[in-house]
Amino acid sequence: MTVRKSVTLSFLMAVGIILQLLESLLPVAAIVPGYKIGFANIASLMALQMYDRKSMWIVGLGRIFLSALLQGTLFSVAFWLSLSGGLAALATMSLAVQTKWFSIFGISVAGAAANSAGQVLAITWIYQQYFMQLYLPVLLALSIVSGLLIALFVQLILRRIHYETRI
Amino acid sequence: MTRADKILIVAIMILSAGLIVPLLNHVPQASQAVVTVSDQEVMRIDLSKDGKYSVDGKLGKVYIQVKDGQIRVTQENSPRHICSQQGYVSDPNTPIVCLPNETVITIESDEQSNEDTVIQ
Repeated sequence: MTVRKSVTLSFLMAVGIILQLLESLLPVAAIVPGYKIGFANIASLMALQMYDRKSMWIVGLGRIFLSALLQGTLFSVAFWLSLSGGLAALATMSLAVQTKWFSIFGISVAGAAANSAGQVLAITWIYQQYFMQLYLPVLLALSIVSGLLIALFVQLILRRIHYETRI
Repeated sequence: MTRADKILIVAIMILSAGLIVPLLNHVPQASQAVVTVSDQEVMRIDLSKDGKYSVDGKLGKVYIQVKDGQIRVTQENSPRHICSQQGYVSDPNTPIVCLPNETVITIESDEQSNEDTVIQ
């Protein structure tokens, strides 16, 4: 890993942390409880587009751990939910990349849907309650919207920074 | 956007729409019927599943049937057959009492019933 790459990944991770912290201030969750657009995923997707899958894992997992550390929720229920959703999303996105069928939009939507599913599974497991499963269809439907939105953002950002010419 | 993207999005849409139907049907109603014989609880019956049960009353077997969240006594041995004539019961405030058999069936539910208060 070159210095340039590691610095870029660190910056992406920092962006992801900031986006995750800022998003907790957005009142989206008041409209649809439990729903987040997941702006932090912009960082992981950008790492994927600029480098490879390994970089995406580094940025994604680092972002989850560090933002939990900054929010003071490390190893709390919120952290485990975040981690399980993140792991499911990262694994699904890796698979989606491997198949080479999907563009960035498909990868992003698959990740967002896996995030919802992973979180609902974790809630079911932690609380031993099945009420969240009733909510899964709503979250899945919304994850299409957020996935497309995130992919659009990443595409626009990458176009603006002309990353191909710089690396 | 590739073709696979669109297929994936449509698949998730169908999945989320399809998941609503079975999950809504499976809303736990949390209501159970408690069967007591001679003041002793002998059986707890989940009212969300249809089925047929029987308990040993004082004068012989009492046959119980659950259907669509309701419960009734289908057959029992007693002089006037009051409890089997009562029919289906789904209200927590209405017990089925089979006095000759000393069998009482009450429904326990978290939901509020239609009555405001019941003086017992």
